[in-house]
This record gives sequence, C-alpha cells and structure tokens, in this order.
Amino acid sequence: MQHLVGQASSNSSSAASASPVRLRPSPSSRRDQQHRERDAPAAAMADEHQELARAFSGMGGLGVDEAAVVSAVGRWRRQPEKRTQFRRSFPGFFTATSGGGGVMERCEDEYVRQLEAEFARFKDAAVLWAMHPWERDARWAHHVLHKAHPPAVLVEVACTRAADDLLGARRAYHALYHRSLEEDVAYRVRDASAALLVGLVSAYRYEGTRVSEELAKEEAKALAAAVKSASATGAKLVQNDLVVRVLATRSKPQLRATFRIYKELNGKTLEEDFAGELCLQEAVKCLDSPARYFGELINGAFKDGADKQAKAALTRVVVSRSEADMEEIKDAYAKQFGAKLTDAVAKNAHGHYKDALLAMIGK
Amino acid sequence: MATITVPQAVPSSAEDAAALMKAFQGWGTDEKAVIAILAHRNSFQRKEIMLEYEEMYNESLIQRLQSELSGDFERAMYYWILDPMERQAVMANAATKCIQEEYKIIVEIACANSPAELVAIKKAYHVIYKCSLEEDVAARTRGNLRSLLLALVSTYRYDGDDVDMGLAKSEAKIVHEAVRNGTTDHEELIRIVGTRSKAQLKATFICFREEHSTSITKALPHGTDRTGYLHALRTALRCIVDGNKYFAKVLRTATRDSGTDEDTLTRVIVVHAEKDMKDISAAFQKRASCTLQQAIEKETSGDYRSFLMALLGS
Repeated sequence: MQHLVGQASSNSSSAASASPVRLRPSPSSRRDQQHRERDAPAAAMADEHQELARAFSGMGGLGVDEAAVVSAVGRWRRQPEKRTQFRRSFPGFFTATSGGGGVMERCEDEYVRQLEAEFARFKDAAVLWAMHPWERDARWAHHVLHKAHPPAVLVEVACTRAADDLLGARRAYHALYHRSLEEDVAYRVRDASAALLVGLVSAYRYEGTRVSEELAKEEAKALAAAVKSASATGAKLVQNDLVVRVLATRSKPQLRATFRIYKELNGKTLEEDFAGELCLQEAVKCLDSPARYFGELINGAFKDGADKQAKAALTRVVVSRSEADMEEIKDAYAKQFGAKLTDAVAKNAHGHYKDALLAMIGK
Repeated sequence: MATITVPQAVPSSAEDAAALMKAFQGWGTDEKAVIAILAHRNSFQRKEIMLEYEEMYNESLIQRLQSELSGDFERAMYYWILDPMERQAVMANAATKCIQEEYKIIVEIACANSPAELVAIKKAYHVIYKCSLEEDVAARTRGNLRSLLLALVSTYRYDGDDVDMGLAKSEAKIVHEAVRNGTTDHEELIRIVGTRSKAQLKATFICFREEHSTSITKALPHGTDRTGYLHALRTALRCIVDGNKYFAKVLRTATRDSGTDEDTLTRVIVVHAEKDMKDISAAFQKRASCTLQQAIEKETSGDYRSFLMALLGS
C-alpha cells in the first residue's frame, strides 16, 4: 500500500508547485493507479479491508477506531469500487442480493445493530462519567430490574459501594423512579435469590473496624453447618435464613473475619462451598475481594464470544471504580491474568472509547 | 406539632450550665430548677448546654444528672437530654436486648419515623454501638418475626405522595389472601408492608377496606401467637396507617387505673414532645374521657409528673 500513498503525494506536490490547484490525481494517473491496484498483491488489499473492518469493530474488540474510518473515507473518495470490494470481503455483514438488474451487497440488520452498539460505547462512557455516582448506580439497578437481566449488577452495586454511597443510590432511585429500590427488587425478582437480593440492597452496614473474632467464629461454624446440611438435603443455600442474615447485615470487616475463619476451619473457602449458587458466590466475592471481582469482569469483556452484558461491564467497572479502587483492581488484574490492565485495554478497545478508558484507568 | 415551650429570650448555654450546677450543689438537688431549664430547651440548645457544662466543670452533664436524680424522673431526664436520633437509637438497642418482650418498640421506631429520620437513627446506632441495628435485630429473632422486623428496620421507603391505584388494588388482594390463611405464608405480606411507601400502603389498606368492609388490622387473625409476629404486624399496620391514633392508644393503656406504665409514658412523651405531641394529645382526647394532661396529673406524681407536664406544655 505504501507505493500508492507515495504516488498520491508526488502527484499532489507537482500540482501544488504550479498553481493553487485542487489536490487530486489527474485522470490519466488515476487510471494507472487503478491498474496498479488490480495487480497489487491480494494480501495488501485484504489487510486494508481487515483494518477497516477492525476499525468498525466487525472483528472483535470494543469501540470504533474513528481515525481509521475517517482515513478510509478520505482515501477511497470517489472510488466506489473500493467500497464494493470491502463489502464483498465481509460476507458475514454484507450479503449479495440481486434484483432490479444489478448486484448490491446489503447490510445485515444484525451488523447494523452491532455497529450502533460499538459506536455508542464512547458516548455511553462519557455520559456515565459525567453523571453523579448515585444516579449511575440507580440507573444501572433500574435497568437490570426492568429488563430482567441477571442480577449480578445488583449484587455488585449493593456489595461493593460504601454504606453511604449505597444509601445515596437508593435516594437517587427515589428521585428518579418514585419508588424505592428494595420495593422494585422485592416485586420483580421472583426466584430463589429474592430474599438475598432484597437484603443486600437494603443493607446499611456499620463501616467501622470493630470486629468480634468470637462472633466470626460462631458464624463461620454456623455457616459450615448450613453448607453441610444443604449438600445432604439438596436445599438451596441462597434461601437459607442464616446465610441471608449474615451476608445481608454484618459489616464488611466482620464478614472478612468470618470468611477467613471459615477457610481455617474447613479447608475450603465459603466461595468454593457455594458452588452452583452463582448469586451467593458473587455476593461473597464482592464483599470479600471486590478488586478481584472487578478484574474478572473486565477480563470477561475481552473474551471471544462475550455477550452484550459482559461487554457493557467494561464501561461500568472502569467508570464506577476509576476514582475508587482502580489501583487495587490494576494490581489484582496483573496478578490474576499476568498482564497490565492498560495493555489489555489498549489491545482490545479502539478509538476514543479506548482513550477514554485509559484516561480513567490511569498509568 | 411539638408541645414543649422555649422562652422567647433564652439564656446563653453558659448561663444555663451555671444554673444547673447551682441546682446540683448543696444538700439534695433543686429538681424544679433542672426541669425549668432543660424541659424548656430544644435539642440544639440542650446540646450546647451539655458541651458548655463539660467545658466549664470538667464533668459530663449526663453522668451528673444520673447521680443527682433518681427513679422514673432520672430515666426520663436521661432520655430527654440525648440528641433525638441518639435517643431512639439507645431505646432501640435496649429493646434488642430483650427483643421477645420489647419488639414493639423496634416496630414503633421503624414505622413512626420518616424514612430520613430512620436513617439518622441507624447512623447514630453505628456510632454508639459500633454495629448496625439490623444485625442486632436479625441475630436475636427468627422466623416471620425476624423477616418482618428486619424488613421494617432496613427499608428506606420512597417518601413521596405518588400512588399507583392499580397496584394498590392488586396488593390489597394479596394481603387479603395472606391474612385469610393464618400466619404460614406471609412472605408477600411482609414484602408489601416492608417495602412500599407509606402513601402506597395507605392506598392499599383503603382498597382493602372498600373490598372487604373491614380494616386490615381487624382482619388479622386473632389467636395468641407466641412468636409475637402477629402483634408486631398489627403494631406496624397501626403505626403506618395513623401514628397519632396509635400512640394515643398506647398512652391510654399506660394511664389506666390498673397501674401506670411509666416506662411507656416516658418513651412516648419524651420522644414526641418535640415532634408531634400536640396531634397525639388531640387523638388521646377524642377517645378518652379527659385530656392527656389530666390523665398524667392523675396517674403520676412528684418530680416525674412535673417533668412530664412541662414537656406537655403545661
């Protein structure tokens, strides 16, 4: 492709030295260019298309490489055949249709939707960044409830925010929706996790450091008994009164002591023993080691086949934690995935979206 | 509306502190002087006096009062001198210590305060007791009683007037089903009573009454319930529907001829004197054969009586 760029610039410089003339190759040299392009190695063409497709994020990655798109728009001006070739090289997004005497590659609706989502990533991040944290949390919670998405976001907001921030989010929810968060959770969640979720979002935990080792031991033992009995009877721990009471009312330092003693007494962590009960595992992770939880969420957004919610988690985590525990998240990410978070974001995101994320993550 | 009266020209907190010290000195305490000052100051002024007293005399006013006064008067004055939110936090904590007998107090605090006041009380609880009210309530109860109390104490109700009448009708049906079937399947009932806004609940209970020609409290099953759940539920419903009527009834019961319940009198009057005692008094008079002041005059005595009367604005 280099020689094409060289050609264009040498033409324009000769034109410029004569008189102020529009910088565009003369008709004859343009034809020459087309001949050269037809003969250019197929690999270079495919590369150019691939890069553009990547810019449009038709091939994984998050966000849109706005600069590459603009550059292609400029380079291929008045060369509709270039765009045709681009469309033809992507049968997944454009399908050939014939009718009315001409062939056209029409855009797949699914691809248009995908494109809209990718173009919107930067906009969403910017709007969320500008919002008050309490309003953000209230809106996320409302969205999850009213679209019946998996409740992980509720668990995340309820368990990782400071007590006064969760309260603030609940106040914002009143102002936005004229209902309380807990009444909507209680009304809309009708499965086994309802009691736990209502308990978690209603919590106004003590935030001091006082911890009773004795109480932690007592509750660790009681939890172990509950786990044992549930595995014998097949009952769901998420509906167990003791489990819900402890997770929904104790302070975070108290819970961490309880989790620590649980592991000492039983060899396994409570998280491991809650296997098969995703809601409970998420709650324990968020209460015990939020940085690790957030690191995993971010990594989930980069995986192949990540769905809409998994990708949305990237924006949510970075925007909401940028001024909270981002340093701890970076450390946890490096520890767990062996790579710097900033490198992973640079690799997997594009354009303004990528730049915004990196700015929020910091060095 | 409050019933306490504060003089137009209030002495400075230093003057009040000095006057209190004078009342403590010598043989015995000048209780009248203590009442004359403290019963006529609002919570902000009382706090200033406490700080000034401690600064001037290097001792805690509360501890001095506790040693100078005694009996029902001392208990009432102790609660009175506290900041209003701290006061209810202390009362709640005392109730959690014998929650099977005193759960009613938890219900009153959870339901009769505004949502913002309940948050302030819980915040005060954190500071004083280094744990949350929710964990103390939850750890000491079980079953339906725990579910109800925990929901009432944890909720942060929407405080506005928005009401969804369709929802009120459908939830009135759910409530009716629940009370009809005894006390076994009350999850939905507890959900509704424990999360909906007060305006929404009032609308639901009106729909209930229209549909079934009886009030929700009358429709509750009437057996003895050793767990206390039914009584707690009835208390919650009464507080939510008409707090003034509820407290008026509590006061009537506490001033009956068969024996005065000073602890209850203290609790209700001290908490409400600077809030809505006027409305409670009016509700009291509607159903009783005398005014609240007359009942207090008759059923209590000594400095305790003088203090209560001062709080009631006499």
